[in-house]
Amino acid sequence: MLAEVGSILVGLAVATALYAGGAGFWAIHRSDSRWAKSGRNAATATVALLGVALTALLGAFLGDQFGIRYVAHHSSRDLPAHLKASAVWAGQEGSLLLWSFLQALFSALVVTRPSKRAHSPERAFHLVPWAGVVLNLLTAFFAAVTLLLSNPFARQVTIPPDGQGLNPLLRHPGMIFHPPAMYLGYVGLAVPFAFAIAALITRQVGDWPSVARRWTVVAWLFLGLGILLGARWAYDVLGWGGYWGWDPVENAGLMPWLTATALLHGIAMQEQRGGFRAWNIFLAALSFALVLFGTFTTRSGLILSVHAFVRSDLGPYFLAAIFLTLGASLALMISRRSVLVSPYPVQGLFSRDGMFVLTLVLLLSITASVFVGSLLPTLTQALSGRRFEADPAWFDRVTGPQFGALVLVMGVCPLLARMAGGLRRVRRRGLPALLGAVAAVAAAALAGFSRPVSLLGFALAGLAGGTALAEIGRVVARRGVGRGGRHSGRRYGGYLVHVGVILMAVGVIGTRGYPFETEVELSPGEPVDVGAYTLVYDELRQETAGDHLSTWAAISVYRDGDYLATLAPRMNRYPSFDQTFMVPALRTGLREDIYLVLFSSSVDRLVNVKVILNPLINFLWLGGLVFLAGGLLALWPSPARAVPEGVLRRQRWPVGTTVALAAGLLVLVVATVAMWQPGIGSLIGRAGRPLPGQPAPDFTLDLLDGSNLRLVDLRAQVVVLNFWTTWCPSCADELPELEALWSEYQAQGVFFVGIAVQEEKVEVREMGSEFGLTYPLGLDPEGRIATPYGITAVPETFVIDPQGQTAAVHVGPVDAAELRQDLDRLLGR
Amino acid sequence: MQGKTTLIIATLLVVAAVVYLIVTSTGNTARYFLTIDELRAMGDGATGRNITISGAVLGDTITYDPAVPRVTFTVVQVPADPEEVERAGGLAQVLHAAVTDPNAFRLEVVYAEVKPDLLQHEAQAIVRGQLGSDGRFYADQVLLKCPSRYEEQIPDQTSRRVIGPAEGS
Repeated sequence: MLAEVGSILVGLAVATALYAGGAGFWAIHRSDSRWAKSGRNAATATVALLGVALTALLGAFLGDQFGIRYVAHHSSRDLPAHLKASAVWAGQEGSLLLWSFLQALFSALVVTRPSKRAHSPERAFHLVPWAGVVLNLLTAFFAAVTLLLSNPFARQVTIPPDGQGLNPLLRHPGMIFHPPAMYLGYVGLAVPFAFAIAALITRQVGDWPSVARRWTVVAWLFLGLGILLGARWAYDVLGWGGYWGWDPVENAGLMPWLTATALLHGIAMQEQRGGFRAWNIFLAALSFALVLFGTFTTRSGLILSVHAFVRSDLGPYFLAAIFLTLGASLALMISRRSVLVSPYPVQGLFSRDGMFVLTLVLLLSITASVFVGSLLPTLTQALSGRRFEADPAWFDRVTGPQFGALVLVMGVCPLLARMAGGLRRVRRRGLPALLGAVAAVAAAALAGFSRPVSLLGFALAGLAGGTALAEIGRVVARRGVGRGGRHSGRRYGGYLVHVGVILMAVGVIGTRGYPFETEVELSPGEPVDVGAYTLVYDELRQETAGDHLSTWAAISVYRDGDYLATLAPRMNRYPSFDQTFMVPALRTGLREDIYLVLFSSSVDRLVNVKVILNPLINFLWLGGLVFLAGGLLALWPSPARAVPEGVLRRQRWPVGTTVALAAGLLVLVVATVAMWQPGIGSLIGRAGRPLPGQPAPDFTLDLLDGSNLRLVDLRAQVVVLNFWTTWCPSCADELPELEALWSEYQAQGVFFVGIAVQEEKVEVREMGSEFGLTYPLGLDPEGRIATPYGITAVPETFVIDPQGQTAAVHVGPVDAAELRQDLDRLLGR
Repeated sequence: MQGKTTLIIATLLVVAAVVYLIVTSTGNTARYFLTIDELRAMGDGATGRNITISGAVLGDTITYDPAVPRVTFTVVQVPADPEEVERAGGLAQVLHAAVTDPNAFRLEVVYAEVKPDLLQHEAQAIVRGQLGSDGRFYADQVLLKCPSRYEEQIPDQTSRRVIGPAEGS
């Protein structure tokens, strides 16, 4: 039932979207506002239809309707409700439906709220209807593709008793929010494209950026958020310790973001001075074409990627759409070339105009490099007959210098005068940049990041950072916080975005320039040093959790001897997928993250762990959050609108803006939570054991005979502490051996103590006489002694030297021969 | 100098630098992308070079020593040309045909790393590494099909058992 309803709804949406486009065109042609109104109503109806269809699909997931193939392939009965909801966009069909819905929503918002955002409503008058026509036709295209080629409501003949479940890798908060964020970005870029086309048709080339700017910022911000969430997901889930692999699918998301960044800079210049007209039209068309290209390549077989295995039927349609997009834009640009010329002469390179041109050129050259890299096998095949492939090193080498140049421009540009020839200003305002560069290099060198190439990178970042902070300070000093005039939010926001990008650059230099990875084999209780870290493997546990079996190792991590955390990297076995996934555990630090991956555990109690250190990676995540905050700030409404002089207008509380900002803050909070979880796989409430060589924590122990024993009183003797319980079989196993060693070593100045953890006096006394124990036994009823010793399971045995330092730690049953070795060593034999 | 001239020179410099970077990087770090057939055809000339190959994984041949760690497995020739894959009825069919064809060229891969989660029978593997003088392929990196999309189009045992006869989608 739901399936048929869903298909019919999508079908109706195709019709209403087509009608909305047609009515809009007719309204322009006839100058008839009734047709325009009818078109707007149809656009609203399209949103409603697709919204209900999306809800129906959600209902199918929540109601376990496995008769629908898409549901059966991406869900199962035991999946939690929030994951069932996110499974709506876990595959191609549902993604396209979500895309269509968002496209319809954006189209309707554009056509039904004309001119409110524009500074001069009458100018936007002709732009909006044409943009509406383009957007509604795009909605019809996506809805038609969804219905005819990739219908999420398609039924299957046999209804399985249960679905296949959601892929375990996709069960992560980053993956719940990443796809919608990407689609909001992709769909959002359709809006500036539509306005650019409308501007060319109506020859209002000067006016469209002020109408489309907010849409562009929103799209660019969501695309950035989506990319960041995807990176964090890769870091948390995939277990290779990285966050970006230059995979063609990643590149497909990055390219439109780069060109949208260029477009925002171009729009800023055009709004200020009227130039960059041809640039902006071109960039808007290119951004949208790259969105389509990304969608196309992953489904076409054109790109050899792990993501892009199967050619689906969608390829040719998207290819046609790309050619139509670019062809129509270029043809229109040529026919309207007379209105695209800049109203003032081109400025030289060493002016702010020139630097903006250079910024756009660099962003485009990076985009082109990524494009060439993604298509390298296909391109080299065509050019030389041999296929070459670009690996991550290729991308790093090609794009690294370009990103460096971009950061340099970021640092220099605000220092230049708007018009040509302003090198003098650099001398006057360049001090913060210089200080920033020197400070960054000094800090990096002191922290040990002293390779020349990375120091150059830090210098560039410091230079740009110094400039950005100085510019923010200048705006604040001149205008005061909060009443900064017409574009203050944009100014702060823009520079804050720069600060975010610079922080991210620092993270990239750290992780790309100083990678560290090693594999270690750990046996229980034995410390292994990895750089400045010491790892102690405590225990291995296994538990069933829903549809998988989870094996995890508790590993205590120390840095320079100080206990940091106990991490639990896991191996999750999913029988229904016949796959084992390694879930990393990590401890976050400003200097670096330590990242552990458990990749084998065996019955002989050894575990193999991959240890990855990611220097400065938190600058990347922090920079991402600053970047998002800056983007939101750039959307902040201008408090003082340009009001005609002499007209007193009472400012109404902007409800829509407030709602939008609240939503933006919510996005930021979600991003913070999803992106920055300080200790994934960290076990809470654990303390580390004292490492060999560290002082053994002092304690006062109540002995069975009613007397007290203090550890300090035992100085000058070798002390063996055995933590045990009466109910643990392996504790009982080792009692006779301990008693034998005690009677052998007692006379040589060795003291044995048995500490029963959380036990009753009666039972301990009974057990002691049963085994004929003669060494002192004491009670630790609340675990007050066990806690500072970091006991995780019994038995555990500590050997303490005459100076009160921990000499050896045995987790689990102690081997008599090993204990004898420890004692002989300490007694100097 | 005229404003326009400096801008054009700067743009040309950027373009020249990017072309230089792309050309030299392609010469230095880019790899041959070969099918197993083509690797065979290159003979000894392939030994020691940076090469990427793609093939279908034979499930029975996967061995894993976690202590080292080291994985070995055999991959079977599959065509790389998308058109050819399409003509043969899609990638799933091509992979299935490859692993059941006793005459297809095979290659043993040695990967001194943790066993990837997705290394399974009939998975498509893209393997980066060098051909050793012993005729085995020593991998630096193994990429396997991404599970995020299209998984329904690779017929594995699970989906067949649950869904019944798989429909092409």
